[in-house]
Amino acid sequence: MKESEPARRSPLLAGALSALLPGLGHVSLRQWYRGVAILLSFLVLTGIVAWYAEPLISWDSSIYPLLAFLAWFKFGGFWYLAPAGMWLWNIWDAASLAGCGRTRTILIPLLFGMMAAYGIGWQLVEVDFSAASLDRAMAIIRPMLYPDMVEERRELNRMWTYVSVPCSATETPPQARREEDGKVASATPDCAKLSEALTVSVSGMWPDTDTIVWWETAIGDDKPLGGNENAPLIVRTDATGSLTVVIHVPSTVMIAQPDPSLMLQHRVYFDQYRPLGGYQITSNGGFVLKGMMESVTMALMATTLSILLAIPISFLAARNLMGGNPFTLFIYVITRTILNFVRSIEALILAIVFVIIVGLGPFAGVMALAVHSVVALAKLYSEVIEGIDPGPIEAVKATGANWLQVARYGVIPQIVPPFTAFTIYRWDINVRMSIIIGMVGGGGIGQYLIQWIQINEMGAVGAAFIAIAVVVITLDYLSAKVRERLV
Amino acid sequence: MLRIQNLTKVYPNGTQALKDVSFEVKDGEFLVVIGLSGSGKSTLLRCINRLIDPTEGKITWDDIDITAAPPAELRRIRRQIGMVFQQFNLVKRSSVMTNVMNGRLGYANPWLSLLGIWPPTDKQRAVKALERVGIADKASSRADALSGGQQQRVGIARALMQEPRLVLADEPVASLDPVLSHSILHYLEQLNKEGMTVICSLHFLDLVHRYATRVIALKDGIKVFEGLPAEIDRAKFKEIYGEEAQEVRATTVEASA
Ligand SMILES: Nc1ncnc2c1ncn2[C@@H]1O[C@H](COP(=O)(O)OP(=O)(O)O)[C@@H](O)[C@H]1O
Ligand SMILES: [Mg+2]
Repeated sequence: MKESEPARRSPLLAGALSALLPGLGHVSLRQWYRGVAILLSFLVLTGIVAWYAEPLISWDSSIYPLLAFLAWFKFGGFWYLAPAGMWLWNIWDAASLAGCGRTRTILIPLLFGMMAAYGIGWQLVEVDFSAASLDRAMAIIRPMLYPDMVEERRELNRMWTYVSVPCSATETPPQARREEDGKVASATPDCAKLSEALTVSVSGMWPDTDTIVWWETAIGDDKPLGGNENAPLIVRTDATGSLTVVIHVPSTVMIAQPDPSLMLQHRVYFDQYRPLGGYQITSNGGFVLKGMMESVTMALMATTLSILLAIPISFLAARNLMGGNPFTLFIYVITRTILNFVRSIEALILAIVFVIIVGLGPFAGVMALAVHSVVALAKLYSEVIEGIDPGPIEAVKATGANWLQVARYGVIPQIVPPFTAFTIYRWDINVRMSIIIGMVGGGGIGQYLIQWIQINEMGAVGAAFIAIAVVVITLDYLSAKVRERLV
Repeated sequence: MLRIQNLTKVYPNGTQALKDVSFEVKDGEFLVVIGLSGSGKSTLLRCINRLIDPTEGKITWDDIDITAAPPAELRRIRRQIGMVFQQFNLVKRSSVMTNVMNGRLGYANPWLSLLGIWPPTDKQRAVKALERVGIADKASSRADALSGGQQQRVGIARALMQEPRLVLADEPVASLDPVLSHSILHYLEQLNKEGMTVICSLHFLDLVHRYATRVIALKDGIKVFEGLPAEIDRAKFKEIYGEEAQEVRATTVEASA
């Protein structure tokens, strides 16, 4: 239906009508669509404000209404004014329509709509830049700057002695003294209660060497003895290889002990390290490498698996092969629809689903990546097939080649290089995705990474970041190079 | 002697591309087929080596019935018929050498050829073929790295590998400029002088006069002329190409003459 020519009327009347009910002025000028659209927009906008907006400040409690009004803006409440703006524009538009037959730009009401959207967004995310604390950030970032990847190769010289905690009323404690390989470690007295002082000494160690003195509880927990029981206690041996130091029994050594009066054997250790020359991979570094290898091979498995499925599917999804008759065309449409649907599901979501189905670990990750890759590759492959040039095939046929030869020399050279290029590209993507997928339990370095983040092993996190960056950049570069040669 | 009898081709969509076309080609002829675009030239040439199966009619070569040949026999016939295309039809990503070797597929051991293993004699033959068309130095280039004229020479070298007795050339120079056109047709002429029969579709009147020993003309799938090139003057050309096309044709002919 075409809008009829607007009947000229008094702008005042039209404006007043629109002020009474937004859009009414337009309707009176027989601008039906515009009138109804304005009314609906106004209602929706007002509805959103009424429903979503929270009272930011109570009017009665405020002595200074102007300040309260300004506070609105500070809290992002400016968008509450959007319906009012819309209402004013609607009056102006109606009056202008009646006066000179011209409507006003709808950019302005759109702007009010945007205002509401951003207002809601602003409140929703609670934008608070003061929350970004540099100290907190540095506390996390600093250990990441010392990636837990390689360490100096060191030799350990260790000695220990028993200490009994607490002293028993009935039993005499065993002597807190041990000899081994010419080293002697001892503690006096032989038993002590929590937080009590003990004198521990060791001899026969390496001379003039820093020695870490630490406590191992009866159930095998490590306790540092320095600072406030939160830092290592480091003492240097003298020229003869001996040291003596007063320690306090850590206050937490009996925490898991059901009967606090029971005397148990704890240990005090003396550890010395000496560089052996060269470097070695730390245990976390080993996990980084292992995880990285898992991620890369997961991606490889998923990609390989998906090639096998994607090739046959791609033939079904190629229009030039399937367009021939209605039946094959139907299969083509169905295949395409399924591909488009599955492709819209993120691999991460598939991973969560597969973790539920097959349990945590690399298999879930591989399945998720494989499913996603099958559809992605099938689409790309089918486009390659659709792009096959029939000319060379015809030419090879004309030389008297049989159909296998035609396939080998006319078809394969046309599809294998782009197939390979797309596949390598997919593998490259899969390596990146497998890292993310690991974080929801799909195995690989992502799974280690999320655990390290949770237990605040930031050194290992830093090492993982480096490994990820190196692998991703390298693969990116290599795959781009290889693709360049193929296409 | 190639004999085409009552050849008719109706495509599945109902287009009648050839209507009852009959003619003969004697060994050693350079037969040129002319006609407007869409007149059925490509269809005719492709019926001869059965890249397209004719709907009706019969094609015999010496005493062999091409139209009735079973697959294995058809491949033996095809390997003796070289074909050159307007769009060169090279496998673009393959090397020039591989494209030329493809001409040998009809003769090679099928299984070894699938593995890319060729008899040494075939390799020498390929080098000679490339030398003959003057691009021996391009043997290891990718086909699509070559210019149009060079690609068509690869196309001719590929046909040469078949040691053909008959060459079908479907507008071999329509994608090339006039100078290159002459150099390509010159190769075909030489082959013809060495005894090969050539059937070639062409667009330009001067090229027809220069190279053809005999001419047939198609219009809407019907053979409208058969005779010597000298018999085709402007008036005849106009008749074949229709009133609309004359101006374009005339100027193109002048430009390339
Ligand atoms: N594969 C095909 N299917 C249907 N019609 C075709 C096909 N190939 C060619 N034709 C039609 O047949 C007629 C002759 O085509 P063609 O032999 O290519 O002519 P020319 O080579 O002289 O330009 C044209 O009308 C063309 O549209
Ligand atoms: Mg043609």
